[in-house]
Amino acid sequence: MPAAGFMGMPMKDDIDTTWTYLHDGITMIMTNLQQGIDLKAYMGIYTAVHNFCISQKASTFTLQTQGMGTGQRGAHLLGEDLYRKLTDYLSNHLQGLVIESAGHTDEALLSFYIREWQRYTDAAKYIHHLFQYLNRHWVRREIEEGKKHIYDVYTLHLVQWRDVLFTKVWEKVMAAVLKLVEKQRNGETIEHNQIKQVVDSFVSLGLDDGDASKTTLDVYRYHFERPFLDATKLFYQNESKQFVAENSVVEYMKKAETRLSEEEERVKLYLHPDIAFSLKKTCNTALIADHSTVLRDEFQVLLDNDREEDMARMYSLLSRIPEGLDPLRTKFETHVRNAGLAAVAKVASDADKLEPKVYVDALLEIHTQYQGLVKRAFRDEPEFTRSLDNACREFVNRNDVCKSGSNKSPELLAKYTDVLLRKSSTGVEDTELENTLVQIMTVFKYIEDKDVFQKFYSRMLARRLVHSNSSSDDAETSMISKLKEACGFEYTNKLQRMFQDMQISKDLNSGFREHVQAVGSKGLDSTYSILGTGFWPLTPPGTNFNPPGEVAADCERFSRFYKNKHDGRKLTWLWQLCKGEVKANYVKNAKMPYTFQVSIYQMAILLLFNEKDKNTYEELSSTTQLNNEALDPSLGILLKAKVLNLDTSGGSASKVGPGAVFALNYDFKSKKYRVNLNVGMKAETKQEEAETNKTIEEDRKLLLQSAIVRIMKARKRMKHQQLVSETINQIRARFVPKVSDIKKCIEILLDKEYLERLEDDDIGYLA
Amino acid sequence: MSADKSTQKVTLTSNEGTNVEVDRAVAERSMLIKNLIDDLGDEAIIGGAIPIPNVNDPVLRKVIEWCEHHRNDAAQTADDENDNRKKTTDIDEWDQKFMQVDQEMLFEIILAANYLDIKALLDVGCKTVANMIKGKSPEEIRKTFNITNDFTREEEEQIRRENEWAEDR
Repeated sequence: MPAAGFMGMPMKDDIDTTWTYLHDGITMIMTNLQQGIDLKAYMGIYTAVHNFCISQKASTFTLQTQGMGTGQRGAHLLGEDLYRKLTDYLSNHLQGLVIESAGHTDEALLSFYIREWQRYTDAAKYIHHLFQYLNRHWVRREIEEGKKHIYDVYTLHLVQWRDVLFTKVWEKVMAAVLKLVEKQRNGETIEHNQIKQVVDSFVSLGLDDGDASKTTLDVYRYHFERPFLDATKLFYQNESKQFVAENSVVEYMKKAETRLSEEEERVKLYLHPDIAFSLKKTCNTALIADHSTVLRDEFQVLLDNDREEDMARMYSLLSRIPEGLDPLRTKFETHVRNAGLAAVAKVASDADKLEPKVYVDALLEIHTQYQGLVKRAFRDEPEFTRSLDNACREFVNRNDVCKSGSNKSPELLAKYTDVLLRKSSTGVEDTELENTLVQIMTVFKYIEDKDVFQKFYSRMLARRLVHSNSSSDDAETSMISKLKEACGFEYTNKLQRMFQDMQISKDLNSGFREHVQAVGSKGLDSTYSILGTGFWPLTPPGTNFNPPGEVAADCERFSRFYKNKHDGRKLTWLWQLCKGEVKANYVKNAKMPYTFQVSIYQMAILLLFNEKDKNTYEELSSTTQLNNEALDPSLGILLKAKVLNLDTSGGSASKVGPGAVFALNYDFKSKKYRVNLNVGMKAETKQEEAETNKTIEEDRKLLLQSAIVRIMKARKRMKHQQLVSETINQIRARFVPKVSDIKKCIEILLDKEYLERLEDDDIGYLA
Repeated sequence: MSADKSTQKVTLTSNEGTNVEVDRAVAERSMLIKNLIDDLGDEAIIGGAIPIPNVNDPVLRKVIEWCEHHRNDAAQTADDENDNRKKTTDIDEWDQKFMQVDQEMLFEIILAANYLDIKALLDVGCKTVANMIKGKSPEEIRKTFNITNDFTREEEEQIRRENEWAEDR
């Protein structure tokens, strides 16, 4: 093919002929691209642009014909004429489209817009490549020199579209889009791909004027998002207002839920992800926040009727708006508290006879019920859990049962624990026991007076250990470690020491037995427990006691053995806790001798009947050295069991007391061969309770004082008010102190000169 | 698939109308041809030859020789302006040999590379010219490139003064 006739290639340096040639090519690309453009035309246009750009230099600058052909001074690049011509061409083309668009509305307009946009941008890609030479040289230089409003050819197309066409038609296009979306919201099927294409087009027009290589969402946000959100808001405001008026709240919630998920789906389907957040916010406002009062008012109804599913729905709706859930939490808290109080009131008709298990179960039932609700309906949200905790703390510590004394809750809980941990005939499965202990801890968590629980618990643990009727060591250890986890080492320190003492005693006893065997002396079959004074909630007996000879000898031997091992320790005998077994060989008509399980006091009494069959009250009292508070109940049980009889023949007193005479009953009868006579009396336990409660007050004072001293030791100097609140903080884990008590304790410490009063209401620490 | 494409044949027609057949991968060293194939599609080049009206047969063959050698180089990226390659006048051995042509051919290659948008080749060409200038006095440069001095004495003096700072002393 001869070069000269190549596609009617224009003269290289003449803009008009060059443009005429280019114009035809561009028009074909712009309007008839689907027909295809051939290689010659493609190369022709490219070459024409190239040739124009390199040729004009020659006319403006000194021509060097030798060697290199064309030469130039400086780096002046040509192409501005071409750029302007192209800009004008595009502007013309687009103005034509604007006029054409006027004939379309709604969906037809959308189709038109999308079709023309597609065609235009396809063409733009071609023209961009064909004008690549212009891009590479003239445009690049202009941009590098900081010229504004010069773009590469593709961007130029977008800028022209935006400035010439878009500004004129966008409102109509958006109106059509919104109409279409409304149709879809009303349940019609639409061709949502159209909207997606419009969105993409709007997004593409977001050109950063400062840097053409970057894009922004400004155009899209202003021209698409804004009207879209406005329309959405209006639509849902109207719809929801009508729906609420005509339907129940529960129905409305379902509707709102559907609408919200529809909108989320809409974003995925054909909107730009940028709108997701603001669209959600708009919908939340129109669908939820605007109706939040109605929703919240329904909450109590749902609570009352246990409508878990609907509550979950309400939760998920209101959780979408700021502070939407606060009123629900408040209502929930009140509701749970009332439910708890009602449950307690039901079982508390007779507070004195209240079974610990019934009480604790009542508390647990409410907790379990509402914890389940929090989990299932409120997604285990920490805030709701806190409301639940607040409510539980209220009804656990302040309810009908506690009216008689605020210590009632911890006391009953400790008693229930004791019932569980004590050996009982009704065997409980280990796993079940463990589960129940976990539940105990649930209630324990809410107990404010944890020190009360500790008191009762340690007393009852002591009893279980001393009488070795604990159901299992594992369960005991498990419970202690749970308490330790909840309240720290200090809280369970004594409990653990009690446990240790029992272990040490075991070893000690076997050592003692070996020792006895080694020396060959014949002793009793005895076991001793050594209990550290500070750790056990036990007090020495309230009476003198003169143990029977056999026992005394054995005790003496053990004391020597022990003191040999641990020099300088003082042993105090807790006679009231001692017990033993005696065989009754005297009973007539018994095939086998009865075995009596007795307290040491009873043993001392009975052993006296080895010498003679009748003893007076005075004789018993003087030999055993027991005072009547210890002697009377012991005798009472022996009489009741008919081991002894009152001998009134000599006109002596007919009830236990001075002047009474006791006779051994040779005709004793019992169905069992082992007879337990060592039963505590009701009065005894009652008294113990009262004592425990009394020591609590004393201990609290000490606890407060030590907390105050600890704080002051660290701070040296503090305001009175600050000291009080700091003390409350420190002590709260154990019980809720009264401010007046704290003030009293501070006074005591001032008197004792641990602290001093300084000016300005300050308290100082005296080392 | 891509292997198929790279060995697909592309016919180029020189200024004189002679045809040269090359592998597509080779032809696509030219961004112009690459864009063209992208735009017009594979079918367009199966039947037809691509006219290269601004390049004559010897130069086209020379350019293709270079492209053949560099067919596996990393594709040219849009913006490697700051590439170190640009800042040195080092040229690899093969390219140096390749550029050992008469001045006329050298400039034709540079023009063709510019036209065809083969950046790496344009760079090599310009570096070769730069190396020809390096270390020469204005007079020597004029001689090398056969340039007539059209400055007046005054003009020349002024330029010297303005550029005094750059003199090697």
